[in-house]
Amino acid sequence: MSLFTYIIEHSNEITVLVVQHGIIFLISIIPAIFFGVALSIIVTREGREKQGNRLLTITAAAQSVPSVAVVAIVFIFVGVGALPAVIALFMYSLVPIVFNATSGMLSISSEVVEAAKGIGFTNRQVLWKVKIPLAVPVIMAGVRSAATINVGTATVASFIGGGGLGDLIFMGIKLYRSDMIFSGSLIVGLLAIVIDALLRLLEVKLIPGSLREKVAG
Amino acid sequence: MIALQNVCKKYGEKIAVDNLSIIFDQGTVSVLVGPSGCGKTTTLRMINRMVEADTGEIRIRGRSINEYNPVMLRRAMGYVIQEVGLFPHYTVYDNIAVIPRLLKWNDARIHKRVMELLDLVTLDESFCEEYPVQLSGGERQRVGLARALAADPDILLMDEPFGAIDPINRITLQDTLIDIQERIQKTIVLVTHDINEALKVGDRIAIMNEGTLVRYDTPENILFEPGGKLVEMLLGHDRNLKALSLRKTSNFIEKSGFSTVSPEDSNETIQRIFEGKEERVVFIIDSEEKMVGRYHCVVESGEGCSVMKSDDPVYIEKSANLSEALSKMLESGEKVLPVVSSKKRLLGVVTLSSLFDEMSRESDRSNT
Repeated sequence: MSLFTYIIEHSNEITVLVVQHGIIFLISIIPAIFFGVALSIIVTREGREKQGNRLLTITAAAQSVPSVAVVAIVFIFVGVGALPAVIALFMYSLVPIVFNATSGMLSISSEVVEAAKGIGFTNRQVLWKVKIPLAVPVIMAGVRSAATINVGTATVASFIGGGGLGDLIFMGIKLYRSDMIFSGSLIVGLLAIVIDALLRLLEVKLIPGSLREKVAG
Repeated sequence: MIALQNVCKKYGEKIAVDNLSIIFDQGTVSVLVGPSGCGKTTTLRMINRMVEADTGEIRIRGRSINEYNPVMLRRAMGYVIQEVGLFPHYTVYDNIAVIPRLLKWNDARIHKRVMELLDLVTLDESFCEEYPVQLSGGERQRVGLARALAADPDILLMDEPFGAIDPINRITLQDTLIDIQERIQKTIVLVTHDINEALKVGDRIAIMNEGTLVRYDTPENILFEPGGKLVEMLLGHDRNLKALSLRKTSNFIEKSGFSTVSPEDSNETIQRIFEGKEERVVFIIDSEEKMVGRYHCVVESGEGCSVMKSDDPVYIEKSANLSEALSKMLESGEKVLPVVSSKKRLLGVVTLSSLFDEMSRESDRSNT
């Protein structure tokens, strides 16, 4: 029970850390979503499947790079503080988003695109009315994956002075205070769960009706 | 209506379409048929600029298709493909309404049109809210056809539209297409690798091979005068049987050469008929001249025959073609087959020998 008393007693400081954590999360993930999806659209344009597949291979390999390595490399080039933390998290979140979005766009049946073109859709209409709606389930899966990873990885960012709940955890490690370690970890975990749940709600709203059954749970 | 002149298309070193010139007349079904790689699909796709021709002119009603924006061109034509390509995230209604919505029709007009089209392709209104994944292959292609016709284009391009459908539904869909064409008279260009489909639905058939046009003519002329090895091979060894399918039984009815009796006639009457003439079958008709059965004369050793009655009348309807008549004859073993009206009234008979006469007359024609 010392775990919960710690949280209750230090709720003010913890709230500050949560907010910090949240800000770092949002500032890194939102650009990652935009850039990632935009990149996948560009790379999967008609006739460029080879580009798309190449990107897929690259990101697949990149997914195995550990977060600590990314943070460390950014630290070397940019230094300490919130900015390098955000940059590192942005790059790290980009990978699963690009992977999923590209994969999703590439997996759309070519006959649906052929029919869309043949009945008179412009390329833009094919993209927005056909390709993207059909790729949304896979894209959202990538976004959810990136979001939960981001929330967890943000703790590592506190290594380079990024702030957030990582500070609580690492301080707890230094001071041999298990209640601090547990509190920090627990809240990070809860944050990840909440964000995932919120994104699932968003996903249900975005996915076209007929494909919803496939994404149950 | 659609005129191709000296059209060529190459993919690298491979010549897909080689100096093709052909005209598709308004209101007709023109079928492009030929072995794989003959260039039929490429030709079709050049008409709506899904593929750009390298050289040559393609004109619709005299105007080059290059004068139009490709997207506008395609909106003015219907396009149906083998895999159908319905939008999985749209309902049947939304799929059909796609082009009208692109053209900014108002909702009431769209609704009316969708209902008309569902009726045209014989799908019930209850299909509107279904998604493609819930439909069978045949139903999907009907929706595909409805979608293509939604904006009432003059031209319909179809690329192996029934290729992915099971054989039974394929026949139904071909019949539906023929029906629809009778009602709406579009200019249809259809690609198929199935020569039987071409013969069945086509007003004119263009046989292509290796990018060139080998023969462009009516199904009749092609069947009776193939004029070449490739065409003969394409038509198959049974092309004479296929030729029979172009002939209506109603044109070959003979009113004499058979006898009829009523159900009340006695066995003696029937025996006398068999003894007097050379017939082996006597048909039983009721007071309304409907077929109700037949009597056979089964020859036994020695003289005379015993009379066998069968309550199962064997006949062919007058709307059937000669190929179906021949099939019935083979099935029943009868060389003299009664022909009935749609109400089963006996109209006459068609005989195996008259079929033979017809076939040899046509093959004389092709030999001259």
